[in-house]
Amino acid sequence: MNIYLRLVYRNIRANLDRASLFFELIFPLFFIFVQGFGLNGIVPPFDVGNGRVISYSLFLAAGAVTLTVINGGTNAGTQLWFDRKNGMFEQLLMGPFTRAQYILSIIFATLIIGVAGSLLVFGFAFPVLGASFAPTWEGALLIAGALFLGTMFFGAFAIALSVVLKSSETFQIVSTFAFFIFLFTSSVFFPASAAPSAIQAASLANPLTYTTDIFRAGLFNAVTPTVSLELGVLAIEAVAMFVIAVFAFRRIRV
Amino acid sequence: MLMAPDQVVRVDELSRHFGDKIAVDRVSFDIARSEVFGFLGPNGAGKTTTIKMLTTLLPSTSGRATVLGHDLKTEGRKIRAQIGVVQQQDSFDQGLNVETSMDLYGLIWNVPKAERRRRIDELIGHFEMQEFRKMPTVDLSAGQRRRLQVAREFIHDMDLLFLDEPTVGLDPIVRRSVLDYLKERVRQGLTIFFTTHILEEAEYLCNRIAVINQGRIVQIDTPENLKRRFGSAKAVEFKLLQGTSSEMASALSSSASVSRFGRDEGSGAYRVTTTRPESVIPEIYRLADRLNLTVSSIYISETTLEDAFINLVTEDEKAVANGGRAS
Repeated sequence: MNIYLRLVYRNIRANLDRASLFFELIFPLFFIFVQGFGLNGIVPPFDVGNGRVISYSLFLAAGAVTLTVINGGTNAGTQLWFDRKNGMFEQLLMGPFTRAQYILSIIFATLIIGVAGSLLVFGFAFPVLGASFAPTWEGALLIAGALFLGTMFFGAFAIALSVVLKSSETFQIVSTFAFFIFLFTSSVFFPASAAPSAIQAASLANPLTYTTDIFRAGLFNAVTPTVSLELGVLAIEAVAMFVIAVFAFRRIRV
Repeated sequence: MLMAPDQVVRVDELSRHFGDKIAVDRVSFDIARSEVFGFLGPNGAGKTTTIKMLTTLLPSTSGRATVLGHDLKTEGRKIRAQIGVVQQQDSFDQGLNVETSMDLYGLIWNVPKAERRRRIDELIGHFEMQEFRKMPTVDLSAGQRRRLQVAREFIHDMDLLFLDEPTVGLDPIVRRSVLDYLKERVRQGLTIFFTTHILEEAEYLCNRIAVINQGRIVQIDTPENLKRRFGSAKAVEFKLLQGTSSEMASALSSSASVSRFGRDEGSGAYRVTTTRPESVIPEIYRLADRLNLTVSSIYISETTLEDAFINLVTEDEKAVANGGRAS
């Protein structure tokens, strides 16, 4: 079996428990069905681009699917933390692998969890919402690109954070706080263009804004010229964060 | 760096500095195939740092080494593919039970499934883990977790095994069975680099021992030679049927072979401290014969490896304090 497959399988089996994965799926569904239905009656439908008008519950549902990207990212940091705490980090580095293979295996495991989680939430929520789609190849590629790059960014971010922070408890608190900032300065809950100027400015640097916008554009066939620009920015942010994570990872003292 | 055909490890002037602190200072040694090489030293002497360098976890600051014929600096991955390591610290996958943990470890080493199953059953038997084979690793006691950690390493093939205090937390019976298992594996061709604080087990297992102190190797030799060369003076205790003899006491006190002489008032036994018991014992019998005395009992206390170790480290620390350590 390929070395990456072995390591990815091991990361998922050893470091991720079913209970936390279950709640990571429940979390976006809670937004979709409670907040979405709750606000649907008072928020009028609006245009997400290209003349596509959708209800607020569908708007939020698409945003909530990308929440699983953040959850996947947190998992990357958690995997590294568990390995360091339990002595498996050094044990694996003394095995027949390179450091690069180890860190990439965490990113790959994160991608699998992030993308699979998104698809599960999507598959569960959208039929209930009664949405109908006319899928296109362009839309499918945009969705895949958004989920891939978003998970890569947040996975790398969590890895960098877990290297810098000295305890797993601090990591949990800081990562939760950081992810709330990402969440509320993005376009997950509301269109960033309708937000106050400070939040609008913050949303321009926020990779979750781009992940969500690109995902919605692909899903609702609402592709505008700005989507390719957003995809470019997200790719640059994801690669930059991955490089930072690799440098941070190399600083871990053994 | 050339290696003899039966040489598994060759270390030449290897050093590791952490800022101003010298953790390992120009150590040199070699290890032959199927040898158990002990690495003894007080806490912080540089044992674990040496292991971390030889297992490619830490880069060396200077010096050279080859492990299993591969250069330490440039062929780390080849080395890691042929070694096993049991770290001093715990290492376990917390979300798994004992058996799954061993299986997953075998999987990442690419051991085929059927072979993994066979080895897991064998190792669980050898390391007496039947009782807790289905128990989650987080619920294991320290000793059980240690057993798992040692057993798990044998799930994959290797030519050289690094054991960093592998028996910490094990009860004497399990410890002995682990040591016997290691001996068996050595007979089958495995080479072991072994650190421990339990000197009896070093003596039981090791062919040669290096004593390291403050980053430097103080001495390398067989356990027997270390005891012989650096063991403390031995105590010869004897009793006379007649109780006491001032002539005997006077003669022994002035003997060149005796470094201390005294009498235990409680037991009534004379106690002679000497580095040459082979001369002192005949001398006691000669004196007794000449003085018409009868030696009712005589015994000599064995020098232990611990005596040799303490002497070596103490002498080295005195030399360091006096600035007299050879550079």
